Amino acid sequence: MRYGKTLGVATALVTLTMAGQAMAEASCGMNTGEAATGDPIIVGGIYGDAAPGDWSSSTDSAAAYFACVNANGGINGRPIDYRVENDQWNPESAAQAAALLVNDTPTVAMVGNGSFIEMAVNANTYEEAGIMVMASACAISECFETPNIVSTNQGPLPSNLGAAQYAVEELGATHTACIGLNIPNNGIWSCGAVNDFMESRGLQGTSVLINPGAPDVNSALLEAMASGADTILINQPAGIALAILSAAEEQDLRDQFIWIAPTPLYDLSVPEAVGDYWDGHVYVNAELAPLNLEGPDAQNWVAVLDEYGNDDDPRDTFGQAGYLSARFFVDAMLEMDPAQLDDRAAVSDAIRGISGYTSDLMCGPYYVGDADFHMPNHAGYMVQITGGSFEIVRECYEYDSPYFEPHRALEAELGLN
Amino acid sequence: MDRSLFRITRSGWAGLALAAFAIVILPSISSRFWLSVFTSAGCFTIAIAGVAFMYARLGMVSLTQVGLMGVGGWVALRLNYAFDFPFEVNMALAALTTMVFGWILALPALRMRGLYLALVTLMAAGGLEIIFATFQFPNGGDGFWGVQTGSGEAFRRPWIAQSPEAYLRYVIACAVLGFLLIELHRRLQPGRAWALIRRSEAAAMAAGVNVTLYKTWAFGIAGLLGGGAGALLAGSLGLLDDGTFRASESVLVFALAVVGGARYWQGAVVAALLYKVLPPLLNNWGVDADLAYIIFGAGLLHAVITAPDGIAGQIMGAVKGLSRRKERADA
Amino acid sequence: MTIARFGNWILWAVLMALIIGWFGWGGRPQMIGLFIASGLAVGSLYALGGIGIVVLYRATGVLNFAGGAAGAAGAMTAWQLTDWGVWDPISWIACLAVALAITLFYGRLIAPRLAWRETVVKAVATLGFALIILGAVSFLWVDDPRSISLPTDAIGVRILGMRVTATRLLVFFASIGIVVGIWLFLARTQIGLQMRALANDRDLAALMGIPILRVETIAWGISGLLAGFTGLMFADLIRLEPTIITFMVIPSIAAAICGRLENLTVVLLGGLSMGVIENMLTMSPMLRGVRPIAPFVIAALVLLWYQRGSRLTFGGRD
Repeated sequence: MRYGKTLGVATALVTLTMAGQAMAEASCGMNTGEAATGDPIIVGGIYGDAAPGDWSSSTDSAAAYFACVNANGGINGRPIDYRVENDQWNPESAAQAAALLVNDTPTVAMVGNGSFIEMAVNANTYEEAGIMVMASACAISECFETPNIVSTNQGPLPSNLGAAQYAVEELGATHTACIGLNIPNNGIWSCGAVNDFMESRGLQGTSVLINPGAPDVNSALLEAMASGADTILINQPAGIALAILSAAEEQDLRDQFIWIAPTPLYDLSVPEAVGDYWDGHVYVNAELAPLNLEGPDAQNWVAVLDEYGNDDDPRDTFGQAGYLSARFFVDAMLEMDPAQLDDRAAVSDAIRGISGYTSDLMCGPYYVGDADFHMPNHAGYMVQITGGSFEIVRECYEYDSPYFEPHRALEAELGLN
Repeated sequence: MDRSLFRITRSGWAGLALAAFAIVILPSISSRFWLSVFTSAGCFTIAIAGVAFMYARLGMVSLTQVGLMGVGGWVALRLNYAFDFPFEVNMALAALTTMVFGWILALPALRMRGLYLALVTLMAAGGLEIIFATFQFPNGGDGFWGVQTGSGEAFRRPWIAQSPEAYLRYVIACAVLGFLLIELHRRLQPGRAWALIRRSEAAAMAAGVNVTLYKTWAFGIAGLLGGGAGALLAGSLGLLDDGTFRASESVLVFALAVVGGARYWQGAVVAALLYKVLPPLLNNWGVDADLAYIIFGAGLLHAVITAPDGIAGQIMGAVKGLSRRKERADA
Repeated sequence: MTIARFGNWILWAVLMALIIGWFGWGGRPQMIGLFIASGLAVGSLYALGGIGIVVLYRATGVLNFAGGAAGAAGAMTAWQLTDWGVWDPISWIACLAVALAITLFYGRLIAPRLAWRETVVKAVATLGFALIILGAVSFLWVDDPRSISLPTDAIGVRILGMRVTATRLLVFFASIGIVVGIWLFLARTQIGLQMRALANDRDLAALMGIPILRVETIAWGISGLLAGFTGLMFADLIRLEPTIITFMVIPSIAAAICGRLENLTVVLLGGLSMGVIENMLTMSPMLRGVRPIAPFVIAALVLLWYQRGSRLTFGGRD
């Protein structure tokens, strides 16, 4: 909350000064303006792009940032050779991608990973290989509760908590029904944390689980209704979340419940897709700065994408997260002894040593630390779907839940709060 | 024609030569990426051998082979976390359990043939998909389903095959054993019974063949191979995910078995290569994953339309044609 | 025979009542009503898919796995046209037209090449076609949250305490209407007669001079239109995601199995029952998680029931 406020003020000031200015020049790494020509430093990244969804925007943004760094002096004159692989949402392909990037290639780190399954399959591989993964688009517990993965995005658990907390504090929610996927390390895990949070406030929480193979969501919605909840937390990927909202619209349930959702619904195509019916009635937690804020990093990210990315690279939250992971990685590399840049163990140590990096895209500081769990990002914004877009209804706020006790202890140890 | 049990045919020699190459040379020239790809392909070769054998010997279509792999993998993982058994015991028990599961599946199938049998197995595959998606695969948690949040320790590999290279060799050795098991059956009493049943169930029954028993037996063998393959796959990845065992994958595996050529052992190998090696190749060549689907589907259509004996049949035909031409040239 | 069939109907009614009573026991009557209404909506989609499969299978002997994919392609086209601002009715017609064109393409150009293969191989070939369509559709439209809505969504009536949109009613009555319509078509028209002859014995029908190509083309056309309609309704009511719509074909086959791949009325009832039972399972804390399994279990049980008492038979083809 503390840094949230200051950052909010800082962001507002920056926005004011930036307003009306022409688009900023991309600024990356050493910012020399000269292309790096030395031996490349190899960095890997895994994204998932196949039938259920395209999660490549984080690696796209990371790639654009690295390209910008390479055009601006690289890491002390050495360019980054960024190699990405598609896990195709398939566990075997995910394992193969890690074998290729981690075992067969002398990568020093993985950056920008965005996947639903890759982290579960490869968490052990990363630990054995001693490589650090600075992921960007994570959805499962392995991303946050294993020693070698740290993610810039929050994943469903904190984002759910943030949404539930807002609903309790501002909208008067007393009983949440969390509609999650029936997957232990995703829906069960993240809905369980919401239930714990509700209980810690003396309120009630219920998990309603949807089988990922089930096409029809209406029965889950009915189950949520039957539980007696007054708030429905749609803890789902955007596609299923839209299906739930349209089923609710059909039955005209809008005014009977408070509707909240974690970040997946924070997608600029969502307000149009949900239609006028939901205008002003859906509250979404945004785990990074909303896209209409124009802090220095927010602007730089867009500038980098415009200059070094492809036109169709998505400008979305996962893209921001990919940019941030890449930027923090480059910052950490620049602080390292140049002789050790090819040493995976040294790079891993440098990444573990990251502490107190900040950006206007994130509410709190970014850090890694030497722990079995990593979740630097646990503060966010709350936005509301209104007038065909999103409007911020609550600036940066810390999520208050017993889940974060070990994280706060670690932050205290690092001197961050 | 020599009918002795241990005679090795020309195709058998070719198979042993390929296995020798795959065991001795392949692992040492493969990177970790290709080791992982070939290990997957090896596991699926075993499973596909099971489904192809049922189709070629009895004309029975099973659309649930990948589901059976899932059953085997589930049992192996569960045993692994519950007891301290070595890998071989886990795999053997998984294979046997899946065999029993195959028998149970065969019960409704006994009175059915052709499309209906295929549809029963499709329903089984659909049901297994939902069960795997709901209960997930054991990862070291408590209770019957053994699932916990986050991943546990990896599945134990056989002590003689800890490294990826050794594990690939191990999988290929298992595949050879699987093929030998099928070939052994073909040359013994069951093989003769199956051949008769394939011709005409009525004639088989009139000749005193217990049709029910031998059909069930065949299902059991397919289950045994599928279950073993599932356990091997679990050993390869260290864990399993329900995404591998969708009903659509089972249908695809059957389709590829037909494309490869169900009558020949080469067919199973070709099918597994198409299924597991082609997609990473396409990926390496920069083909969009969605376009890979199109290539896959078109290949399937093409093979189904133009090559009833599959790719293996075409290869065999070509080889025969060559040797005939050579004989003619020699003469 | 009549008594036996009658017995099956009674058994079905008793079983449905028992299942609803069992799972609904202790629940609020209004909630039960909601679950039944919701189940009927999903069930009619299963049934619609099943009807398309059965019509085609009876006339051509092809079990079409690609119906869902054709529907998905049609629904995505409709979405695209709407997105471009095309007048809505045109985009709906385009949906039907695309599904029709895709299905006819297969029926006229690919299916004849497989005419003499086993039924199963024919079915597997359609899977190859489904993969091609799915690949093309996923390639053309990157994954993005999308939805499609029909004007009937805005109209609603209250049934059993639940607001039911006109779209759901449309699907429900369309599935009944289509069954009646196809029954009339088969019973009253010459093409229908020829189709029945083809379903009975293809070789004999061919010898008798029935224009197989024409009859089959019409069957493919009907199934293509049904696929397009089902795809559009599915996209509106459930989800507009190509993969989901494509593999919707598997529960549809379960519904088709209930009617033994021939009896459309039973397909309809089977599909509706599956939807209702699937939704009623939500009331059971134990079975809640596995409720999508209902269609498969029901189909397997129905198959077993049909096979009861019969011995292995040797005559005829599969």
